[in-house]
Amino acid sequence: MKLSAYPAFTHSAFQSRLAYRNQVWANAFGDLVNVFARIAIWSAAYAGMTVVDGVTLPEMVTYAVLVGTVLRWDHARLLHEVGDAVRTGDVAVYLLKPLHYPFAILASHVGHYAFSFVTVTIPVVLIVGFTAGLMPPASLFHAALFPVFWLLSWLVMFCIATLCGLLAFWLLTAFSLEWFLMGIMLLFSGAVVPMWFLPPALATLFSYLPFAWVHYYPAAVYLGKLDPTSTWLHLGMGLGWLALLAAAVAWLWSRARHRIIVQGG
Amino acid sequence: MAPIISAVGVGKTFRQLKRQAGFGGALRGLVSRDYTEIRAVEGIAFSIEPGEAVGYLGPNGAGKSTMIKMMTGILTPSAGTLSVLGREPHSNRILNARDIGVVFGQRSQLWWDLPVRDSFELNRHIYDIPDSRFADNLAYLTQMLDMGSYIGRPVRQLSLGQRMRAEIAMALLHDPKILFLDEPTIGLDVVAKDAVRRFLAEINRERGTTIILTTHDLVDIEQICPRLIMVDDGKLLFDGELRHLRATLGSRRRLTLEFATDPGPLTLKTATLAADEGAAKHYLLENEAVSLIDVLNEVGPAHGLKDIKLEEPDIEEVIRTFYLNKPKLAGSAP
Repeated sequence: MKLSAYPAFTHSAFQSRLAYRNQVWANAFGDLVNVFARIAIWSAAYAGMTVVDGVTLPEMVTYAVLVGTVLRWDHARLLHEVGDAVRTGDVAVYLLKPLHYPFAILASHVGHYAFSFVTVTIPVVLIVGFTAGLMPPASLFHAALFPVFWLLSWLVMFCIATLCGLLAFWLLTAFSLEWFLMGIMLLFSGAVVPMWFLPPALATLFSYLPFAWVHYYPAAVYLGKLDPTSTWLHLGMGLGWLALLAAAVAWLWSRARHRIIVQGG
Repeated sequence: MAPIISAVGVGKTFRQLKRQAGFGGALRGLVSRDYTEIRAVEGIAFSIEPGEAVGYLGPNGAGKSTMIKMMTGILTPSAGTLSVLGREPHSNRILNARDIGVVFGQRSQLWWDLPVRDSFELNRHIYDIPDSRFADNLAYLTQMLDMGSYIGRPVRQLSLGQRMRAEIAMALLHDPKILFLDEPTIGLDVVAKDAVRRFLAEINRERGTTIILTTHDLVDIEQICPRLIMVDDGKLLFDGELRHLRATLGSRRRLTLEFATDPGPLTLKTATLAADEGAAKHYLLENEAVSLIDVLNEVGPAHGLKDIKLEEPDIEEVIRTFYLNKPKLAGSAP
């Protein structure tokens, strides 16, 4: 098949989200509360101080916005979709078509993300920007590299959530995996507390795990907490993790597919 | 012409984990694993020519869906050789997928939240259907399946009958050479069933699309498929034309003779007396070759014959008798 079929999945997924307009309001409100809660916590923690460990409060507000909405991926939707499809055997519908399932899923989730970016992320960023205030990227270099890290973050998250979804095939439940993943992401990715406030031992450990590329590194690049050399280095490491995770998805999918076509699901 | 599908000794065995009862059993299951072998399909052989419409019939668990899954390339046979359009379907899944259309009665391929038309549009991209071909097919299918009133509505708002028609249309947009349908009329009401059946018969006749259809419903087969393949317990029981099934299964026609007055006991060579009500006598015709003329000739003009009625056994009844007598038949099979 031609590659042009996959963008059609992106389009379909985007369209299908329009069917649930109320969800847009709920999601935007949820993100807004999430971001303001983070801002309130950091404001309280700073308790009148201007700089803690070399990080200012406005920087932490910006970090909260980046992690709370710009880099907030809907991994649960993806995990459930993949988990349900393999568990119930609906994945057979994809196998009947001349296409590759992981790419079809990737394409449709680009559509889902594009939809929430337009309807949730942009409005939330604007609202927070006008009320609490946002910092611009630290430099032109960091501004240029942030979108690259942002894309990398999305792809790493895609692979991790797809892996968990595929595991549902053997574990028969996506629900517990979702909780597991949510817990891991909160702690390991720097989603709640950035690495610079963590005990050094933990920070060192977490900074090498792939989860850090989902939240911490993109935000750190935006704020200029990584110098150019370190930025390039971490981009390379992130790409390495992405390759590894993508290979793991391919391997697990081929195992699942093999089991479906041999065992009938 | 070369067959479009050929199966030789096709079998499929599943391994199923044997679970032991109770908590202790569950613990034991963690260390040692016993498997039970389940033979879903065994030694199936048939050959289907292009343009045929074949009904694949059997009770629940007879291995119908397993066979369809093997022919569509999403299950690997564990024995025998299977060829669809000259290819091994599971090792050529993507090539095979381009040339076949599949409808699962119990699994939807439409996008739940999107209008029917959008799902069709997605298929246009997936199968890379040329624009003019797509437009022609869409117009034809919309008219034939009477989808005009709901093609712009989201799938979640459709009735089951409307949805099933849309599923069938979706499977035909890319001009597949073979259309597989797994229980396409399941859960439909009489009117919707009829619409689906007439359409499938039409598409088979007009476009020459080969149709393979599994069903529990004999009427599906009577109206769509001249040829019937019957399976049970994974094994082939019958393969041939529906009208030959009766002969093969040895079921008998019923003959009723009505006389003006009771002619007294009347034995015939061509038919066996089953019940005698005096003026009305009921016979069974054991021999398929015996015609009504033969009977009339034998009875002759002497008895004052007033009316005659010959009843073909209804197909449901034939098959019911067949399954009930199965152990006997299986025992006598070579």
